[in-house]
Amino acid sequence: MNIENTKAQMKKGILEFCILSILSHEDHYPSEIISKMKDAKLLVVEGTLYPLLMRLKNDGLLSYRWEESTSGPPRKYYKLTPPGEQFLKELETTWTELVDAVNRTTQKKLS
Amino acid sequence: MKRTITMNLSGIVFHIEEDAYEKLNQYLQTIKSYFKDAEGCDEIMNDIESRIAEMLQGKVSNTKQAVIMADVQNVISVMGSPEEFAGDNASGKDSAEKQRNNNSSSYAHTGRRRIFRDPDNRIIGGVCSCIANYFDFDPIWLRAAFAISFFAFGTGFLLYFVLLIIIPKATTTAEKLEMRGEKVDVNNIGKAVNEEFQEFKKKMNDLGKEMQSPENKERIRSTAQKTGDFIKELLYRFFKIVGKAAAFILIFLGIVLTVALLATLFGRGTISVFDTPGNNIRFSLYELSAAILPADLPVQLLVTGLILFIGIPLLSMIYGGIRFLFGIKQKNRIVKYSANLLWLLGLGILVYVGIQLGSDFSEQASNRQTISVIQPKGNTLYLDLNVAPKNDEEVSYRHRHKIHFGGWTVVSKDENKFLLGYPTLDIIQSTSDNFELVAIKTANGFDKKEAAYRAKNIDYIITQTDSLIEFNSFFDISATDKLRAQDVRLLLKVPAGKSIFLSKRMEDIIFDIDNVNDALDSDMVNRKWMMTKRGLECVDCDGLENAGIPLPPAPPAKPE
Repeated sequence: MNIENTKAQMKKGILEFCILSILSHEDHYPSEIISKMKDAKLLVVEGTLYPLLMRLKNDGLLSYRWEESTSGPPRKYYKLTPPGEQFLKELETTWTELVDAVNRTTQKKLS
Repeated sequence: MKRTITMNLSGIVFHIEEDAYEKLNQYLQTIKSYFKDAEGCDEIMNDIESRIAEMLQGKVSNTKQAVIMADVQNVISVMGSPEEFAGDNASGKDSAEKQRNNNSSSYAHTGRRRIFRDPDNRIIGGVCSCIANYFDFDPIWLRAAFAISFFAFGTGFLLYFVLLIIIPKATTTAEKLEMRGEKVDVNNIGKAVNEEFQEFKKKMNDLGKEMQSPENKERIRSTAQKTGDFIKELLYRFFKIVGKAAAFILIFLGIVLTVALLATLFGRGTISVFDTPGNNIRFSLYELSAAILPADLPVQLLVTGLILFIGIPLLSMIYGGIRFLFGIKQKNRIVKYSANLLWLLGLGILVYVGIQLGSDFSEQASNRQTISVIQPKGNTLYLDLNVAPKNDEEVSYRHRHKIHFGGWTVVSKDENKFLLGYPTLDIIQSTSDNFELVAIKTANGFDKKEAAYRAKNIDYIITQTDSLIEFNSFFDISATDKLRAQDVRLLLKVPAGKSIFLSKRMEDIIFDIDNVNDALDSDMVNRKWMMTKRGLECVDCDGLENAGIPLPPAPPAKPE
């Protein structure tokens, strides 16, 4: 069992969950998503985000629109699609259940 | 002071120092090579590029116009080095594929191992270790096998070379990871096949259910579409499996034929020609071409031409097969172009040799020579064939080197001479009172002079003891003269009133002799023939009628 692999696997699903929640409040372009996730220390390198966004988009959870920028190339503003919102809702319930379950099992271990 | 390059990144123009550009370009290439199999590779690249452009734009101003190395390094550290990228994405890709598997829209096998040469574990090019790694065994066995096969006509060397070209080197960490992907063994292959089969079965079931359930009738149209997709996918998978099998056969065939080619070219006595049924004669290409090729054309040239002309397509077969079998996508243009070029070169060489050889046959000349015949005391001359180079021990060994070339039979006598057979003998009426023998020797050459010289050089001997003439069944030509359609026609002139006797063995050389009895050559032997005014007439031909040939002047077949 590779610890790095396990860590990456754990983070994987959470990253998707976080991206979707960030986008649920407001549309963002990648740099904004990155800075938010960096603030939360969820993301180490920016490069990781792009393939993730691409996949979420390909799976129909996200859509984007182009917006001209005053300082630089045009930006892709990502937005949740209705299936994306549905997906996020399910993830949220799963997440709370999971946190609950994990908390319970790990605390049992401690006691 | 440094030079700068103008670079367009996502539509924004930057002035960037050369070394920084190199670094950035390399970085982008590495990322790209990693994502090349992912869906939307171009889009990911565009996003990354535009993000980099955005970051770089924050680093240049009116006073600091050029992008320098430190900027690029900073950008790379923010974006993440390819290694970090690769590590994260390897698992990302993995789960993505799993996800797609669950949607049953993908046939991809998770964590599929790919073949790469390992630069960290190599003796020459890392070919053996990469194959051993791919199939999980100790590379030492493969190395030993290759080392041994280097001596088998150099086949091992060729194969190694081909593999070295085809199998890409693992340059990025991602590729190194893929190189060590999930085991490829019988179980795994079985598993993969089984998975595909299960999926296939599931699809069939789904399809069946959908067709049967009455509430889905309105969905017939979409079902029809699904059926179409399904058939497409089925065909795709079918061809994929057939393709793999074909690739394997291709590789196998390619290797076998390459070995055969090399063995033919360099081995001894590898070309077989069927002389008579059950008796085939072997000789090597070198012996053959030494006998035919013009002196100023080295045999090596022909061999090179043949190797290129036949070998390149064979190697391409192996190359293509291996590429398909291991799913290698990288293309090597240099290899492709140089292979095409070499093949054309081979073709050119063969055409050149052909033209040279052909022009050496362009003119024919003959040489007429009277061979003195001692007049026999009786009226009959006995004709026999000297079979020496056919039956005695020494020659029966040489006989192995005898071949038929169209109408000629060649026996290599030694390094300096060839024996060529058979001469042909015709018998006509003499104008004088004596037996006369004339040899007409013909040969071809680049011009008349050369042809005439060759014709004259043909050495043909008869031996006469009293009234017995023994014809040699072969004539000698010097090896330096090469085989140039040399031929000897003998003309025996028989005076009227005198006879000849043809021995059984003469059958080999007599050719379409006109005679009163209209007997075939095979019916003429073992008989005595007298030259009359009408022509050659059989003297002891009782029973010739058995051959079914009526004698025009004679009465029909005698009643028994």
